[in-house]
Amino acid sequence: MVSRRFVLKRLLLLFPVLFGVATVVFAILHLSPGDPAVTIAGERASQEFINEIRSDLGLDDPLWQQYLRFLGDVATLEFGQSYQINRGTPVSEILANRLPITIELALLGELAGLLFGLPLGILSAVKQDTWTDHLTRVGALSGISIPIYWSGPLLILLFAQFFGLLPTSGRIGSEYFIEPVTGFILVDTLLAGNIAAFQSAVYHLFLPVVVLGIYQMALLSRMMRSSMVEVIRQDYMRTARAKGQGSKITIMKHGLRNAFIPVITVIGIQFGSLLGGAVLTETVFEINGIGTLLVDAISQSDYPVVQATVLVFAVLYTLVNLGVDITYSILDPRIEQ
Amino acid sequence: MSSKTQSATVDRGFIERLRASPFLSQLLSNRLAVAGLIIIAAVVVLAVYARLTYDLSNLLATQFGTNPSEAPPSLQYPFGTDGQARNIFPRVLYGAWYAVLYGTVTVAASTVLGVGLGIIAAYYGDLTDNIIMRTMDVLLSFPSLLLALALVTIFPEEFGLWRAVGALTLVYTPRFARVVRGAALKVLEDEYTDATRALGATDPRLLVRHVLPNCLAPITVQSTLNYGLAIIDIAALSFLGFGASPGEPTWGMMLSNGVEYGLFSGAWWWSFFPGLLLALTVLGFNLLGDGMRDALDPRMRETVD
Repeated sequence: MVSRRFVLKRLLLLFPVLFGVATVVFAILHLSPGDPAVTIAGERASQEFINEIRSDLGLDDPLWQQYLRFLGDVATLEFGQSYQINRGTPVSEILANRLPITIELALLGELAGLLFGLPLGILSAVKQDTWTDHLTRVGALSGISIPIYWSGPLLILLFAQFFGLLPTSGRIGSEYFIEPVTGFILVDTLLAGNIAAFQSAVYHLFLPVVVLGIYQMALLSRMMRSSMVEVIRQDYMRTARAKGQGSKITIMKHGLRNAFIPVITVIGIQFGSLLGGAVLTETVFEINGIGTLLVDAISQSDYPVVQATVLVFAVLYTLVNLGVDITYSILDPRIEQ
Repeated sequence: MSSKTQSATVDRGFIERLRASPFLSQLLSNRLAVAGLIIIAAVVVLAVYARLTYDLSNLLATQFGTNPSEAPPSLQYPFGTDGQARNIFPRVLYGAWYAVLYGTVTVAASTVLGVGLGIIAAYYGDLTDNIIMRTMDVLLSFPSLLLALALVTIFPEEFGLWRAVGALTLVYTPRFARVVRGAALKVLEDEYTDATRALGATDPRLLVRHVLPNCLAPITVQSTLNYGLAIIDIAALSFLGFGASPGEPTWGMMLSNGVEYGLFSGAWWWSFFPGLLLALTVLGFNLLGDGMRDALDPRMRETVD
């Protein structure tokens, strides 16, 4: 059983981290050489107009006042309006539309990685130092060495262009319009009862999930292998076998539960690489998630969008790790001490 | 004792320790790690060869009239030519130089920064430790590529690829600080630390002569693992449009241009070969880093992530 005190303590620890994250984002944007007022007004605007915008945005105020105002805005989830990408649209609205798309992609990528990575890692550990093991290990190392922005385009070339099996880019066929309810396209198409649209969404997601999943699969199978190898060496495993238990049952009953514990932490830590991978995947497949939003916002100096997106990514990552820590404490109660 | 003889004894001691270390012998008995080492050596040789042989301005200039544009691989153009009629082969080789150079600077800078911060945090403890490590924790709460993307913007555009190096250095530093702090704390627990202190060693001497050398193994492993990551991340930033300038023969830029302008019009070789070399190089570092981690003293292994 996980104690309420542990969860409470971890939740309270969130605040200093989020405060630090917000401070870093504020610092980054204020160190950037660009002037937001010039970006809004346009390069050819008069100096008076630029000054007017500067005072409207409060950019003339002392830095500490801007900082406090920024913290207040973050606390109330008030991120202002977009300067460039959707000029005048509230940033929170843009994020609400695009965040589910990234989450959907990331979750499916992680799922694919778990589904294939964990069994491969276990197999590799059980067959330690055989050809199966060597092949799996080299495969896993190759998987984390191949950049998504290389494998993605090559797979598009092969499966979409050459064989014509799958669409090249986007999230769903342009002929379908689905009313957003949850924002997750797979869910929304099903809610709308539109099977053809659902199928189109699945086809569009297939390659992005494969590309993102390969990387996660490679990472997870490595972690699972080393964790399992460690567990197989333990005394309790030998005892279980000595009792006359079949080695398959031993591995299932005693091995897995113990081997999963370190892997769960790794899933949390690697969620960061999953999100980074999602940004690259979205760029390659032209998917309108918050990854492409961030890249566009940075190249167009759309500061409110940049700060909100970076914050959302950091919060997402932090929350996943919080969840992982709590799961960990359930599986391994010793961690509380 | 003159400083010269002193450094000579340090060196001999270091080499002897290395020779006697089970780390190195175990590493060299790992075939995959040796394969990684060979790949890395080959890439470095190619990089230096390309740097010494080719003139960068020739590689940058368009070659219309001299070469056909988007010609497929052939004996004359082993990797084909790109949309500016440039021969891709020497450009890919020169890309190795960029990868090695910028990767090395990134890893070296984050190692030095991280080692400094980690050792100081471990040694002084209390408030110093808290300030340093909580700052590192905040930086670690960002997904790394996303923090790098945001950090790239604080450098002026003229910095080109150095923007990516600067951003990634800041992103990787906390990992080194964490590893080094963990390793240093273990070393500081040991009795010889107390003995050295009892003999009257000053703080800097204790840290540099005793704590640091004993943390070298985990630091080396972390550096090797980060090397591949640095090369792949620098290219990723270039691919996303933050790093190399257009036309620069870096793997990331060639990949980006090749995918955008060549891949779907049939010129697959334009992005294929830069990507292949990039993946192979990163694989080399991952093979070596993985073998190094396995060869590491189990007590230190848990400090490396």
